[in-house]
Amino acid sequence: MRNISPVWKGLLLLVIAGAIGYGIGLGLDALISGALNTSGPVGAAFAILFAVTAFFFGIYGYRGITRGLVYQVVGTLLGALLITGIRALMGLDNIFGVYLFSEPAWVVGALVGVVSFLFGVGVVHDWVQWSRGIDTPEHHADEPGWEKYFGVSLDHKVIGIQYTITALVLIAIGGTFAMIFRTELAASQLQFLTTELRLFNQTGPQIYNTLMSLHGIIMIISILLGISGIMNYAVPFLVGAQDMAFPRLNAFAYWVSVPASVLMLLSLVLGGFDTGWTGYPPLSARAPVGMQMFFLGVFTAGWSSILGSLNVIATVVRLRAKGMSAMRLPILVWASVATSIIALTATQLIGLSFQLVMFQRLFGMPFFDAARGGNPVLFQHLFWFYSHPAVYVFVLPGLGVISELLPVFVRKPLFGYRWVAMSSLGIALVGFTVWAHHMFTSGMNEYLRVPFMYSTLLVAVPTGVKFFSWVATMWGGKIETPTPMLFVLGAIIVFLMGGLTGPPNAAIALDLHLHDTYWVVGHFHDTIFGGFVFPFFAAIYYWFPKATGRRMNEFWGKVHFWMMTPSFFVLTLGMMLIGLRGMRRRIVDYDPALGFDFAQLIMTIGGYLIALSVLIFIINLFHSIKHGEKAEGNLWNSRSPEWQVPSPMPVHNYDVPFEVVGEPYDYGLKDSKYVEFSPNGQKHIEFTTEPEVQPHRH
Amino acid sequence: MGTMVHTHDNKSMLSQGILIFIYLAILTALEFFVAITFNSVVLLVVVALVKAALVIYYYMHVYKLNLESEVDDASYDFKAGTNRLGLWLFLISDAFVFAGLMVVRINLLGLSRPELNQTLGLAVTTVLLVSSFFMNRGETLMRNGDRQGFLKNIALTFILGLGFLLGVVLVEWRLAIHEGITPSGSTAGAAFFMMTGMHAFHVFTGLILLAIVWINGRRGLYDVKSYPVEAAAVYWHFVDVVWIFFYPALYLIGTAVH
Repeated sequence: MRNISPVWKGLLLLVIAGAIGYGIGLGLDALISGALNTSGPVGAAFAILFAVTAFFFGIYGYRGITRGLVYQVVGTLLGALLITGIRALMGLDNIFGVYLFSEPAWVVGALVGVVSFLFGVGVVHDWVQWSRGIDTPEHHADEPGWEKYFGVSLDHKVIGIQYTITALVLIAIGGTFAMIFRTELAASQLQFLTTELRLFNQTGPQIYNTLMSLHGIIMIISILLGISGIMNYAVPFLVGAQDMAFPRLNAFAYWVSVPASVLMLLSLVLGGFDTGWTGYPPLSARAPVGMQMFFLGVFTAGWSSILGSLNVIATVVRLRAKGMSAMRLPILVWASVATSIIALTATQLIGLSFQLVMFQRLFGMPFFDAARGGNPVLFQHLFWFYSHPAVYVFVLPGLGVISELLPVFVRKPLFGYRWVAMSSLGIALVGFTVWAHHMFTSGMNEYLRVPFMYSTLLVAVPTGVKFFSWVATMWGGKIETPTPMLFVLGAIIVFLMGGLTGPPNAAIALDLHLHDTYWVVGHFHDTIFGGFVFPFFAAIYYWFPKATGRRMNEFWGKVHFWMMTPSFFVLTLGMMLIGLRGMRRRIVDYDPALGFDFAQLIMTIGGYLIALSVLIFIINLFHSIKHGEKAEGNLWNSRSPEWQVPSPMPVHNYDVPFEVVGEPYDYGLKDSKYVEFSPNGQKHIEFTTEPEVQPHRH
Repeated sequence: MGTMVHTHDNKSMLSQGILIFIYLAILTALEFFVAITFNSVVLLVVVALVKAALVIYYYMHVYKLNLESEVDDASYDFKAGTNRLGLWLFLISDAFVFAGLMVVRINLLGLSRPELNQTLGLAVTTVLLVSSFFMNRGETLMRNGDRQGFLKNIALTFILGLGFLLGVVLVEWRLAIHEGITPSGSTAGAAFFMMTGMHAFHVFTGLILLAIVWINGRRGLYDVKSYPVEAAAVYWHFVDVVWIFFYPALYLIGTAVH
């Protein structure tokens, strides 16, 4: 076994444990239901939990994430068994459910599982010690090499990379789901997701619904983790801090997203859910148990988002370098603050809306049950109060990345710094007032429509400011186009498409026709690819050398870009085209007489090419970690402080602190300086390796 | 250094706590009176806002966020300032949950409310208010270096907080169910149990924090590094502020429906 690489060992264990888990689940299911259901949910659930855990055991051993997952599995089972026992004692009829445990047992089990994970992975260890009056070292030393990424680290750069990798894993999963249902859509009629199919207690069309819903929410969580990755990695060193303001909270915010992702995957096999990621009642009040796993997964991931953004705001307010006044902050930092303001506050409302449906299901509380005085439209208000501003959470950091990188590659100052900085805040604040534009057809009071239309159109103003700034920055510049810049340019063009297709949806008269068509799907994918996906790739290509001391392969980077961009246009323009002609969203099939077959086929091919390009990117990423061209200096000739120190950066970022002495983006101006390194430049935190105070015992 | 700053206003801080408590008690009596006589919604909202402002300023010391610390960035005071900002950001976030619940209540019930036991409602409200007073007193005494007084007041706060929690969950909930107000029976019942339940959960977590601070205080912590005491106090008062709004929303405003 010694010579086998850990990855192969992990994969081997994955297969073995998956089979064992499947067997156990199948046996338990047969024991309780009395029938052998080989494509049933219980065997699959056990197989997933066992396989994932064993994979990490194989590559990393029984610590960190592996121990967390083991705790989660055990915690889930114990919690579920506890409730099952209580229900048995209460003399209830159905102590077991369709999916082995009853719904309340699964809910409590899942919650106990999440908390167990956090204890298992060790991220709450220090807080427990503090509450017992025992001090712990300010920072723990990380293991050298790749292994530090699989356990709890307090270093913001490590956590940023953990976030980024997790986001990429989720993008791969969510993308795979998309490819499955896009393949089904390639031609009219049902091809392989047929009504005869039975998988995890779901028919083919139900599987379609579940995959479509999960594609939405898994991509959303991957975006939230992706922006957290960018913000965590970059914000502290951009402002000159040694770490985030609350390193433990930072680690907690990352690790809580892992059990959340597990819950999402569990929902696939526990009957799935067919509501789409929006989870509207009354449908969500009757969907299978998978709905509850989805609610809990979003709830848990929401805490990651809330606590992460709390940390970003505190870091920017408290830990800036000397001389870094508000109007000398990098644009990415401004964007991060704007995003964090939304995520910190509004996220609670999606959590609350889902919690209320959860309680309606568990206790029969009639919040959204119209038959008993409840109000389904209320759910939509609570839900969209977060879920519309959420798209600004997704795109603002990406737009910040564009403004951050553009001056570097055109060698000119950023045009209109103040306006760009304020436009992020403007989008965030206006974003709070637009939510009901999702509800023009919902049956809400009609007089609400017009104000929401105008507030929505208003968003185009600060967004337009950004575009003017980008164009004016490029104007007359010496444009270089290495891979990160290609993705920046791609982001601007794609986001322009997304932006221009937005106002038609905001106009009530048009929206009544566009609502729930593929037009909206196309618009949404344009905004998110332009505002997040392209800038995310740009950021990875740009800061990869900072993290590893090597650069990613340029040729394959360009292949990635030139394959993804045209395919993406084919896909989304196709979506908008058939949407305008009446293709409904979220349906498994369409009438051949509509004549969409050819367009759907071309779009599906476009989708596959995007998937292939992302695969190329992922291979390039992992290959370049070891075999990339060395790049330890200021590779992009940037003014930003992190590029003035060698790559990879020291543990606490800057051995010598810096002081801000000029404007951040004055590229091409003679003798202008942004930062100056001097010993008295930095807000200073002591890092001790020994406990300051020994345990207090009297 | 940290203790020096605060010693000159020892006495005044204690008497200020008492004064604010008297104001709060009078305002609570006033809102109860308004509710049972002419029931003006506007007046009840104004009184609740004034009460909340008093607690936020005088008991939660929101102005401390603005303290410009001249001290070294590596010092405990600087870190405590960062922690203070973090806690307030958390409370702002948490407030959105309660605001959301308030929206649910207003949307579903409008100017009606569940028919609850008024005496009990006033009683638990009083208990929570008194606990906030002792919390403030305990925190002030700790800052003045009176550890015994601090421990005694924290213990009192804990007992009163526990009394509130049990009063709501064991007594009030049972009474309500007995009266036919159940979680699944009506939207009024659902809103009542959801709001009091979410608040009770926060009281419960506050009790855990109080217990931690009390145990560690007994062990001799917090002479210099006293921020945890302040944090527990601010959190406890926040839970009180939530109740300042939930109490009229559930017990006083509008007309009772069955």
